[in-house]
Amino acid sequence: MQGTDDQARGVLRPEHETARRAAARIRLRAVRMVGKQGFGYLGQALSSAELMAVLFTEHLRSGIDRFVLSPAHYVIAAYAAAVDLGMLTEEQLATYGDDDSALEAIGTERTPVVDLTCGSLGQGLSGAIGLALAARLRAEDRTVYAFVSDGEMEEGQLWEAAMFAAHHGLANLVVLLDCNNSQVDGPVSDVTTVEPVTAKWQAFGWHAEEVDGHDVAMVSAALGRARSAAGPAVVVARTNALGGITCLPGGADAHFVKLTPELVEQAVAELEEAIRG
Amino acid sequence: MGDPPYPVVTKPFGRALVDLAAARDDVVCLSGDLTRQTEVDLFRDTFPERFFNVGMAEQNMVGIAGGLARDGFTVFVPTFGVFCTRRPFDQVAMAVGYPRLPVRLVGFMPGLSSPGGPSHQAVDDVALMRAVPNMTVLDVADATEIRQAVFALADLPGPAYLRLKRGEIPVIFDDDHRLLLDRAQVLREGHDLTVVTAGMMLPASLAAADVLAGRGVSTSVVHVPVVKPLDAATVLAACAHTRATVVAENHSIVGGLGSAVAEALAEAGLGRPLRRVGVRDTYAEGGSAAHLFARYGLDVSDVVARAWELLDLPGEPPRAETVREPSGNLGPV
Repeated sequence: MQGTDDQARGVLRPEHETARRAAARIRLRAVRMVGKQGFGYLGQALSSAELMAVLFTEHLRSGIDRFVLSPAHYVIAAYAAAVDLGMLTEEQLATYGDDDSALEAIGTERTPVVDLTCGSLGQGLSGAIGLALAARLRAEDRTVYAFVSDGEMEEGQLWEAAMFAAHHGLANLVVLLDCNNSQVDGPVSDVTTVEPVTAKWQAFGWHAEEVDGHDVAMVSAALGRARSAAGPAVVVARTNALGGITCLPGGADAHFVKLTPELVEQAVAELEEAIRG
Repeated sequence: MGDPPYPVVTKPFGRALVDLAAARDDVVCLSGDLTRQTEVDLFRDTFPERFFNVGMAEQNMVGIAGGLARDGFTVFVPTFGVFCTRRPFDQVAMAVGYPRLPVRLVGFMPGLSSPGGPSHQAVDDVALMRAVPNMTVLDVADATEIRQAVFALADLPGPAYLRLKRGEIPVIFDDDHRLLLDRAQVLREGHDLTVVTAGMMLPASLAAADVLAGRGVSTSVVHVPVVKPLDAATVLAACAHTRATVVAENHSIVGGLGSAVAEALAEAGLGRPLRRVGVRDTYAEGGSAAHLFARYGLDVSDVVARAWELLDLPGEPPRAETVREPSGNLGPV
């Protein structure tokens, strides 16, 4: 039973080291992608690096499971994660931000890596429910992972979807919720009160548990429990939109980070060290 | 084609959808808490495993439809016209229109046929759906067309909006009538005036043509069940052979069939005086369909009067009887 307890506590295992390094690589690639123009959706990659890394390296079954990225501007993190899976190349990443690049800053229908993404926020969970119902109708063993951001909880459609999923007991639906407390106008908590987040999802009938979203072991353990839950499940990940890089100024606009060439250099050095270490 | 008074039937959509679903296991139906009102109680009772009542949550309903369609299902989304177009417009555009998915939005109680007032009267649905790239827009006139539309849409790769009357549905066309998704239909050929129409204004347009014929005005009637993509060639050919055009629709004069025809005529450089019979850029109020159609200028007499003006005919336009259709005394829901 030791293993089960370790899993519950989120004890770091060797495979998690793979995810931890993958997260550092996501940050490094994102810094380079954003650094070219000097601004962009870096904060989204910084807050979600461990979530994407754990999901892609430890849970998502390629060709079987589905990945819905509700907030399409997070797609930078998915691009960065996809390189490790051989789905994209570093050369392709280098086109991010260019006109005519296949890798648009806000994901679209032509975006690789994701099965569904929504530039208009708050819509991804409904699409994920459609995919989950499709799997159920065909009796396919498939989990639909929907990545959702905390700011999206301000959109009413998300709660319409949450109610539906619980009512229909969609056990093949898992939400990974990035609570980075960041939206365009500032901290989510300044704009409106979405707390208590975990209790809200529980009240809507979901299996919900809260983790440190930068702790790969905790995230992985929670995702495992979410997948085996009897109904729809959400992993509420508390994250920092400037997380994983110490050189960024504390008061930076996390929704749309601006990077000087000097900061890019410092961040790259720091992340390369993290990957080695 | 039959003559008025037309016989009526009930639930032609609901029956057609059940028959389609019996033949095709990829057909799924959602509902937004208007199951009986949109005739899909028949589907629910026949194929319960393929029926999902999403409740009063149209944004979510359209998003779910997009997800199901993305994984290969053909998804019917029946509700009132206002609730599958105006309310979830961004979801229709982003989750259905843009990815070009086989979702069929089915809007009942079009235009002023709802007694429920502005909240329930879809007077802008055609305009909204025409503006969505990839969307096919149908405004069908009778039970024969409704059944054919359900089957025709089953094989359409992209999305569609099907607008249809609720309750007692007239049977205007015979079984040999063929609804084609790329064709308008010239039902009468004349040389003075062309009336272009669709949906619930077809009976009034035919009646107007009869009244005008009685006064020596030879009138073409072009029925356009597929408002988008518009069969401009057929419309233009008919208009080119007459001196003036009246477009009659149970919809706002802004953005609907009248706009589509005006755009086609103007872009083709075909200069014909044109009048739009429709809701004149306003909101109505609750009331019976007969009352509202008369008050807001959607009557046979309105089509006749516009024709009379356009052709600059002498004296008062001839008297025209309203086409009486059974309304079934529908409530707002």
